Amino acid sequence: MINRNKKIAMSIVRTVLLALFLIAALLPLYWIFVTSIKAGNEIYTFPLKYWPEKPSFDSYRELFSFSNFGLYFRNSLLISLSAAFGAMIVSILAGFALSRLSHRRLKGAIELGMYFTQTIPTFIIMVPIFTIFSFFHLINSRIALGFVYVATVVAFCTVMGKSFFDRIPASLEEAAKIDGCNLMQALTKVILPITLPGMAAIFCFAFINIWNELFIAVTVLSSSDKMTVPVALNSFISKTGISWGVMGAGIVVALLPTMVVFGIGQKYIVAGLTDGGVKG
Amino acid sequence: MRNKWLLVMMIPAFLFVILFLYFPLAKGVVMAFQNYNMFDLTNLHFIGLDNFKAIITDPYTNFWQILWNTLIWLVFSLVFQFLLGFTLALLLKKPFAGRGIYSGLVFYTWALSGFAIGLIWSWLFNGQFGLFNDILIRLSLIETPLGFLSTPKLAMMSVIITNIWYGVPFFGIMLLAALQSVPNELYEASTLDGCGAVKQLFYVTIPYIKPTIVSTILLRTMWIVNYPDIIYAMTNGGPVNSTNILATQMINEVFKQYDYGQGSAFGVVIMVILFIYSVIYLKLTKSSEDSI
Repeated sequence: MINRNKKIAMSIVRTVLLALFLIAALLPLYWIFVTSIKAGNEIYTFPLKYWPEKPSFDSYRELFSFSNFGLYFRNSLLISLSAAFGAMIVSILAGFALSRLSHRRLKGAIELGMYFTQTIPTFIIMVPIFTIFSFFHLINSRIALGFVYVATVVAFCTVMGKSFFDRIPASLEEAAKIDGCNLMQALTKVILPITLPGMAAIFCFAFINIWNELFIAVTVLSSSDKMTVPVALNSFISKTGISWGVMGAGIVVALLPTMVVFGIGQKYIVAGLTDGGVKG
Repeated sequence: MRNKWLLVMMIPAFLFVILFLYFPLAKGVVMAFQNYNMFDLTNLHFIGLDNFKAIITDPYTNFWQILWNTLIWLVFSLVFQFLLGFTLALLLKKPFAGRGIYSGLVFYTWALSGFAIGLIWSWLFNGQFGLFNDILIRLSLIETPLGFLSTPKLAMMSVIITNIWYGVPFFGIMLLAALQSVPNELYEASTLDGCGAVKQLFYVTIPYIKPTIVSTILLRTMWIVNYPDIIYAMTNGGPVNSTNILATQMINEVFKQYDYGQGSAFGVVIMVILFIYSVIYLKLTKSSEDSI
C-alpha cells in the first residue's frame, strides 16, 4: 500500500517536472511570436496582453518590404545550403577514410587534430580571416564566406561521419571489391546507400551551425545587399526606430529554418551528436 | 597502398581545416605580439608582450573584474545547465506516450543561435515592457518595473539565466543517450542487493555514464567561455562592465577599438586559460577514476 502511494506520488512529481520543463522551453518562443503579431502600440501598453486583441501581420509586411528581409533570407539560404552540402561531401570522404585507415598512430593524430579545432575560439580566427579576405579582395564575397563556413563545421562532421562508417563492416567493401569495384565505387554504390541517415545528420548539423553564424559574417560582409539573416538582425539593434514587433518578426523568420531542419532531422542529429561528439 | 588512397580522400578536409582554421589561428597568435591597429596600419611591428601588459593594466576595462565575471558566468551557467539537463534526461529515460514529440519540443533550443536567443531574452527582461516585469507586477511582487539589464546587480543574473536555458538541451540530449546505454541487468542486480533509487543513481548510473559526464562538461566549459553571442545581444558587457567577460571584451577590442593586436591578445589569454584548465581537469577526473 505504502509502495503504491509512493509510486503515484512519484509519477505526479515526474509529470509536474516534465510540464515545467516544457513551459520553460516554449515560453520565450511563444512570447516573441505573440510580440510579432501584435498591432501598433499594443506591444507598449501595460498591462501586457498575452494574446493580441487583433492579430496582425503588419510587422512581417514591414520586415519584408521596408527592411528588405527577403533578400537576406535568400542570401542565408543560398550560403547555408551550398556550404552545408559542400561540408557533407568533404566530410563523408574524410570520415570514410578516417574510419578505414589502418595506420593506428596516423589515425589517432588526425582525429586529435580534428578535435582540437573545436577549442579554437571563433574570434581569434576572425581578424586573420578578415585580413586574408582583404588581401585577396574577397571582402563581400559570399562564395569565400561559404568556404570558411565549410571549414568551421568540417572537422566535427568528419568525426561524426567516421563514427557512422565505423558501424559498417569493412567486409561489405571487400565483397564489392571482389565484384570488381574500386574504392570510390565501393563507397558510392555500396556504403553510401546504407549511410543515408548519417549523411542527413551531417547535413542538418552543418546547416544549423552555418545558418546561425554571426561574427564571421559581420566581419567579412560589409555591403548591405550581401548580408545574411543574423547580420541583418544585428544591424537592427543599432538602427533606431525599429520596433520590437519588426524585430520579433525578424527573429521568428530567422529561427524557422533551423527549427524545420531540427524537426526533420532530430532523430539523426541526436544520434550523430552523441556518437560523434563525445566519444573520446 | 590502400592507406595512400584513403589519405588522398582526406585531402579536401585537410585543406579546409588548415587554410581556414589552423593558418588563421597561427596568424592570430602572431598578431597578439604585434602593434596591429586598423588606424595605424603603416606602423605594424612586433612589440613583445606590450599588448598583454596593455590589456591587464587598462584602467577603463578592469582586467581582473573581467576575469572574475568570466568565472561567475562560467560556474553558475555550467552548474545549472548540468543539473537541469541531467534532471531532464532522467525524466525522459522511461518511455511514455508522446515522448518523441516531447523531447523534440524541449530540445529544439539546441538548434537556435545564441545571438537570437539573447535578443529574445533581452525582450523578456526588458525594463519597461518585458514579460517578466509584467508577471512580477501582476503577482504584486514588485510595484514598478525592474531594470533587469540596466542594473549592474541584476544584469549578470539575467544573462546567466538565459545561458542556462540555452545549455540545458545539450546536456539533456547527451546524458539521455548515455543513460539509455546503461545495461538493465545492472539495475536489476542492484535492486536485488537492496539499493533504493537514490543509491542506484549514485552507485550505478553516475559511475557508468561518467565518461560522458566528463567530456560533456569539458566541451560545454569551452563553449561557455568562448562564445560571446548571448551577452553581446543582451548587454554587450554593460552596464559599467558588470557583464563583461573575456570573450565580449575581445569583440569590443575588434569591433569598436579596431585594435586587432590587443583583441588577439585576449584570444590568446582565453586559449591559454582553457588549455591549462583542460589539462588539470582531465588529470583530476582521471585520477579519481583510478581510485575507484
